[in-house]
Amino acid sequence: MSTGTLYTYPENFRAYKALIAAQYSGAKVKVADNFKFGETNKSADFLKKFPSGKVPAFETDDGKFLSESNAIAYFVANEQLRGGKCPYVQAQVQQWISFADNEIVPASCAWVFPLLGIVPQQKNNTAKQDAEVVLQLLNQKLLNATYLAGERITLADIIVFSSLLHLYEHVLEPSVRKPFGNVNRWFLTILNQPQVQAVVKDYKLCEKSLVFDPKKYAEFQAKVGGGKPQQQKQEKKKEEKKPKEKKEQEPAEELDAADEALALEPKSKDPFDALPKGTFNFDDFKRVYSNEDEAKSIPYFFEKFDPENYSIWIGEYKYNDELAKVFMSCNLITGMFQRLDKMRKAAFASVCLFGEDNNSTISGIWVWRGQDLAFTLSPDWQIDYEVYDWKKLDAKSEETKKLVTQYFSWSGTDKDGRKFNQGKIFK
Amino acid sequence: MCDVATVKKIANCLGVSPGQVKLNDEQVVTRISKNKSVNGFASILETLALESTSETALNSKSSREVEAQVYQWIEFAVLYVAPGSKDKYVAKQLLADFNRLFINKSYLVGHFITLADLAVYYAIYNLVKCLTPVEKESYLNLSRWFDHLQQRPEVNQGEPLLNFTTIYLHGWATGTHI
Repeated sequence: MSTGTLYTYPENFRAYKALIAAQYSGAKVKVADNFKFGETNKSADFLKKFPSGKVPAFETDDGKFLSESNAIAYFVANEQLRGGKCPYVQAQVQQWISFADNEIVPASCAWVFPLLGIVPQQKNNTAKQDAEVVLQLLNQKLLNATYLAGERITLADIIVFSSLLHLYEHVLEPSVRKPFGNVNRWFLTILNQPQVQAVVKDYKLCEKSLVFDPKKYAEFQAKVGGGKPQQQKQEKKKEEKKPKEKKEQEPAEELDAADEALALEPKSKDPFDALPKGTFNFDDFKRVYSNEDEAKSIPYFFEKFDPENYSIWIGEYKYNDELAKVFMSCNLITGMFQRLDKMRKAAFASVCLFGEDNNSTISGIWVWRGQDLAFTLSPDWQIDYEVYDWKKLDAKSEETKKLVTQYFSWSGTDKDGRKFNQGKIFK
Repeated sequence: MCDVATVKKIANCLGVSPGQVKLNDEQVVTRISKNKSVNGFASILETLALESTSETALNSKSSREVEAQVYQWIEFAVLYVAPGSKDKYVAKQLLADFNRLFINKSYLVGHFITLADLAVYYAIYNLVKCLTPVEKESYLNLSRWFDHLQQRPEVNQGEPLLNFTTIYLHGWATGTHI
């Protein structure tokens, strides 16, 4: 019987595979109690045993080393878990292990990790749909089968179960998991096995799906980035080695790494970071603008404005003669704001619609950090800006003051005398 | 069902010597083993479980709550399933009820195989055996549970395996089952 030490951080679903298997086989697997993620597994001693520096990693009492969670689980399992004597069932076990790694884990990580704030939210994220396809496959299988391989619990069940833990904990709220009744039944059966209960403690099925919270991400990044400057450096090096294309092709691997290293992303990707911050504080101004009358907030703006590092622009829509319904035009503006979401931190704008249905214009006053057109800083921001004519305004001139006052207070008319209709604030 | 043959099968299944099993003068199933006589199906099963160290027996007495539920199902098998399975309409209802039950459960009690499963399995065995493939089609969840049990050699005990494979074919072919 195998005995040894398992290195892992707590509540690691990959480590669960080996720990549950050990519960079934009776193998004595001790979890290293002084393990510190990011330190122990970066130490020279650890890397000598496990060159990848990844966890879980297993060291037997007679000095053999194993990495990769599935291999460790196989090693500490017993004959029943490995699929019994029948080669067909053994092969099925392997089939489901691959299924878990190739289908479930990538979809699960892509769906759950952004919500946990471990990785940034991706655009056009199809993770939810991907996961649902996988669950549908499992559901079909488990309609006719009690367990995944053979008629006993095997590594197939343990590993697929472990790979689904994040989904059932964070996003599969009752209404979302309802279509997958057979998977739910099987999942609860496995979860409630005494051997599983001994490892997966205090596990609760999701009652309300997590939603994306950019603050969480920021906080997480601050936590990971702030405390360990040295590690940060190493991580950056690692980041450089992986070109961006690769990241997109292999989200799975990238996300796994994110899990293991608790996010390798550089601390910040805000394109404005390259520009000097100056003395103007957008947050303060936005607070004043939201809470006070324009009579107060507009003078406040000119008092605090730092023309050295910030600039004021007027953007006029190029195709005003194509504008029809007012509400559609407003959607045009808010849509642009949404696509520029990441720009908010160092920009402010008031975009107004003048006129009425079938006779209207859009134009707005924008303020941002830097002296050049901000949209060119990030490829994410270049969707809308080309349909506007941009003109930089001289911050000191009276003309600018008048325009700013007009747009910030949502009053006046456009060049051709159309009356102010609606305004939208980007903040 | 709930007769001499079933008691012997369950004893085999638990790896316990059945002893002498017969009907007494009042036509109640009786087991005599080690000079002790026990009457009644449910009581016999209880003593079998006490003697056995098999997985099923251990599961069945894993907690007071489980024990009580197992007992409840055994009584249900004796009082309703066995007599009910002789009537065409009652039998249909029974199968439908079990099928609904197995939508959310893998086993009758808890999350593991217990004596309750065995008692009900043997009680409905003949019923399931007579189902046509099309009828089985409407009890997919029950079929899954039944097939799972019959694949265990200790439960099946050399009987020919009932065929559920057409269900699989049908299921894959039409892709209509959810």
